[in-house]
Amino acid sequence: MLATDTSSSALAIQRDDTQREGGLLTSALRERAADQHYLKLSGLAKSFGSTRVFSEIDADIARGEFITLLGPSGCGKSTLLRAIAGLNNVDAGQIIVNGHDITHLPPQRRGIGMVFQHYALFPNMRVVDNVAFGLRMKKVQPEERERRVNEILRLVELTDHAQRFPHQLSGGQRQRVALARALVVEPQILLLDEPLSALDARIRRHLRDQIRDIQKSLGLTTLFVTHDQEEALLLSDRIFLMHQGRILQQGNAEALYTRPVDATAAGFMGHYNLIGRELAQPLLGYLSDGPRVALRPEALYLQPDSSLYGLQDSQVNFPTQALPSNSGPACPGVIRRHQLLGNIVRYEVDCQGLRLNIDVLNRSSRQLLPTHLRVQVYADLDEVQALADIPAASPTAKQAS
Amino acid sequence: MSLPAELPYRHGKPLLPSLMARLRLLNPYTLVVGSVFTLLALPLVATLFYALATRWGASLTPDGLTIKWFIELWATPRFLAAFGRSILIAVSALILSLILIVPVVFLAHTRYPRLDNLMNGLILLPFAVPPIVSSVGLLQLYAGGPLPIVGTPWILIPTYFTIVLPFMYRALANSLRALDVASLMEAAQLLGASPLKAFFLVVLPNIRIGIQIAVFLAFSFLAGEFVFANMLVGTRFETLQVYLNNIRGASGHFTSALVITLFVFTLLLTWLGNRQPATEGQPVDEADDTLSGTDLTAPIHNVTPDADSRGTR
Amino acid sequence: MMPPRLKRWITSPVMWLLPFAIIFGAFQIAPLVWVMISAFKTPDGWGLAHFHEIATSAFFRQAIGRSLEISFMSSVLGLAIAAVTCHSMHRCGPRLTRAMIAFTNMTSNFAGVPLAFAFIILMGANGMLTLMLERIGIIDDFNLYSRTGLIVIYTWFQIPLGILLLYPAFGTLQSEWREAASLLGAGRVAYWKHIGLPVLWPSLAGTLTVLFANAMGAYATVYALVNTSYNLMTIRIANLVSGDLFLQPELASALALVLVVILVIVTLIQQWLMRRSYHVTSR
Ligand SMILES: Nc1ncnc2c1ncn2[C@@H]1O[C@H](COP(=O)(O)OP(=O)(O)OP(=O)(O)O)[C@@H](O)[C@H]1O
Ligand SMILES: [Mg+2]
Repeated sequence: MLATDTSSSALAIQRDDTQREGGLLTSALRERAADQHYLKLSGLAKSFGSTRVFSEIDADIARGEFITLLGPSGCGKSTLLRAIAGLNNVDAGQIIVNGHDITHLPPQRRGIGMVFQHYALFPNMRVVDNVAFGLRMKKVQPEERERRVNEILRLVELTDHAQRFPHQLSGGQRQRVALARALVVEPQILLLDEPLSALDARIRRHLRDQIRDIQKSLGLTTLFVTHDQEEALLLSDRIFLMHQGRILQQGNAEALYTRPVDATAAGFMGHYNLIGRELAQPLLGYLSDGPRVALRPEALYLQPDSSLYGLQDSQVNFPTQALPSNSGPACPGVIRRHQLLGNIVRYEVDCQGLRLNIDVLNRSSRQLLPTHLRVQVYADLDEVQALADIPAASPTAKQAS
Repeated sequence: MSLPAELPYRHGKPLLPSLMARLRLLNPYTLVVGSVFTLLALPLVATLFYALATRWGASLTPDGLTIKWFIELWATPRFLAAFGRSILIAVSALILSLILIVPVVFLAHTRYPRLDNLMNGLILLPFAVPPIVSSVGLLQLYAGGPLPIVGTPWILIPTYFTIVLPFMYRALANSLRALDVASLMEAAQLLGASPLKAFFLVVLPNIRIGIQIAVFLAFSFLAGEFVFANMLVGTRFETLQVYLNNIRGASGHFTSALVITLFVFTLLLTWLGNRQPATEGQPVDEADDTLSGTDLTAPIHNVTPDADSRGTR
Repeated sequence: MMPPRLKRWITSPVMWLLPFAIIFGAFQIAPLVWVMISAFKTPDGWGLAHFHEIATSAFFRQAIGRSLEISFMSSVLGLAIAAVTCHSMHRCGPRLTRAMIAFTNMTSNFAGVPLAFAFIILMGANGMLTLMLERIGIIDDFNLYSRTGLIVIYTWFQIPLGILLLYPAFGTLQSEWREAASLLGAGRVAYWKHIGLPVLWPSLAGTLTVLFANAMGAYATVYALVNTSYNLMTIRIANLVSGDLFLQPELASALALVLVVILVIVTLIQQWLMRRSYHVTSR
């Protein structure tokens, strides 16, 4: 459905051209190397007055890569995106696209498309005119313009709404118009600033997949800002984890999820449990060499201590988990709370005065463990993650993979 | 290069206050607003200087500063009389307006919602019809006949009621809407108050501030009214504006002092009208497309917590 | 004790609407109706004689022409200055903006006779500004009592009104529209042409209409400034009903009706144009 016939984008053409012209192996190699460093940010910094928004931003993004900027509110994601688009200037550093320094180009000449969180559709124009605007500015011939607009409207499934005004559309439809408007001019790079945050969960999921499909079929280099961990994990080729104006860690989803570089990264991704010295001995059976280790909630196991309460297994069918092969010692704890997260249940367990998050698969045949129940907690020692002993705002970004 | 995009962000904390201040002065937008401000202030400032100058011939600067023109003005019986008349007329017109408008606006927001639509159309009339046109009709209708009131203050009072009607009605309607007066009345009546009692004990105290603001603004508007006063009454009942027009032969310093006095008086009334915390910064944001720039908006205030208990008394 | 029927009648709510209806009818509607009727009253019955006179008299035609000219010029100028100011107000510090709003609120009430006097002091033959500009050599002979002078003073009182009416409209322009446009290749001019002005268009047209009507009906300022020596519609109307010479109230009514009809036509044109544009209200 998401037609590949639109992949006749400028990018594809460009690529063909260079290959034909070069023809030599070396040029092909150079080409590939250039693709690897398609968008290069080096030493970017920006302050508003005395508040530093971001600094020392270094990144190397390959052509066609889908990057997610993930981070807490106010960490500078939007400002970074706007700087790349040219809507903010930067105080220091360079933005290089395909070998060209665009740091000081006005937004009009950067060839970057952007989708805003609140759509920013022009209210006085119908959907077609909104989408055609960029082409008109580029003085594309009317027939060609119409063809491309229709094509892109088909791609975002809005052909039926072409004659509507923005205020006559739903949120999801508006967002797709915004997407179409940014895509139709065939930008080199697409920036998306929380494009889905104003939408409800179902449309969000649908649009998310749509964006990813279109991005893949057009081979667009994309930077996507989100608050949402799940979205980041699902969509991205790589995730840049931002914190207080720095890129804390960059890597693919797997790396970020399983190997956080420090406590902040661990706190942000995967709801890691941070385990300090106090718990290391009872839970892991040894004193950790680093000051802190982290354990994902699913790397902890629960066994109800039913004997203490005289509960009979026949009466109550509690989940009994098979312990991992390399588990730590039993550490006693008390259940304080639980959250149902769909297919898993997350228990909060008090263990020696510390709160641990423990995820258990949610099976309909089994009952939830009641609050105040005494339990034994076991750790999967193979999953223990050592963290760098660096305070949250580390001066240098870490490459995880 | 990307300067325009930076502009919304101007309110960041300045790193170097003096440098930022200088940059701000250079910013073209500040420059524009500053110039227009100056442009608008120029006639007033000139008049103020003139009113404070001892003598001002064909030179660029006054010979000296004095407040003698103000003292002279305030010692002129004709001025004081005109001032008194202006206030008398305005106050009478406002009382009449309140008596006539309050029941209408109240009924339009309780019993007859369709009346509100009608009124919103009717109150456009005083705006749409220039005073000079109305005065042609008024002069003919009330010069003789059963009601010969042209040339007396009696014609000004009901005429002034018509011109303050638009913003009085708007202001009162806004207060009542904010109060949700219909349910308030129901509540009071359920508790045993008669409609009239409920109105005086519950509604009136709650829209007092709205009334107050409307009254002050209408007052300042009436203090500046000239067309009707001059056309319908003229020198036979000389108001301030008519007086000012009639003394055009007097010393320029003296008339300047009068102009400044008038302006300060209007200013005072406007300020009194906008003083309430509830109106802070609001007036302009809600200026209406169809009506003139006079502030027609009333504050939105909440029902005071004891409103219901007051109704039970 | 009142008899119950009388009491019911007095306390009936419609009773409370009556005084309002009477006074409003007698002092707002009746004069207007009287103007409409008497405009067609001629010495020998009914007819269009007064309109014929207005249409054929060079004097009245001049008055209408000058009123239209001064009103049009001053409202366009006032609108332009107000628009630029409002745009700037949304982009300069909040302190200056607040001061400006308060000031325009004040000055919009400062019109009529005092304004005329203030302008005489500023720009009259011996006015401060006139003298200053003459010294510098920018102007050599400025006449406040001329067409130009009237346009200047009319524009002055149009600006605050324009600002009050337009300021909220400029608040609806979102900076993101401009940013989105610039990313799509639109410069400043293209942005205003394709987005800024079209979005503002209904407010601009509405404000222009109000300003125009305001200028057409203005009387106090110009009367205080030039008495009856400058030929404008309002001056003529007033002179026909309250001048020292012979009075012609029917002719005054006819001219007043012409004024009202002009305002109605302008409003209708504006409404018609608005209907053809998109509606911000339904956002
Ligand atoms: N125009 C500005 N002037 C001053 N400070 C600003 C400006 N814009 C942003 N900031 C500050 O810069 C920091 C980063 O803002 P930014 O909008 O980039 O955050 P974000 O990561 O996008 O947050 P969110 O997820 O909430 O959108 C914030 O502390 C913010 O207060
Ligand atoms: Mg943001």
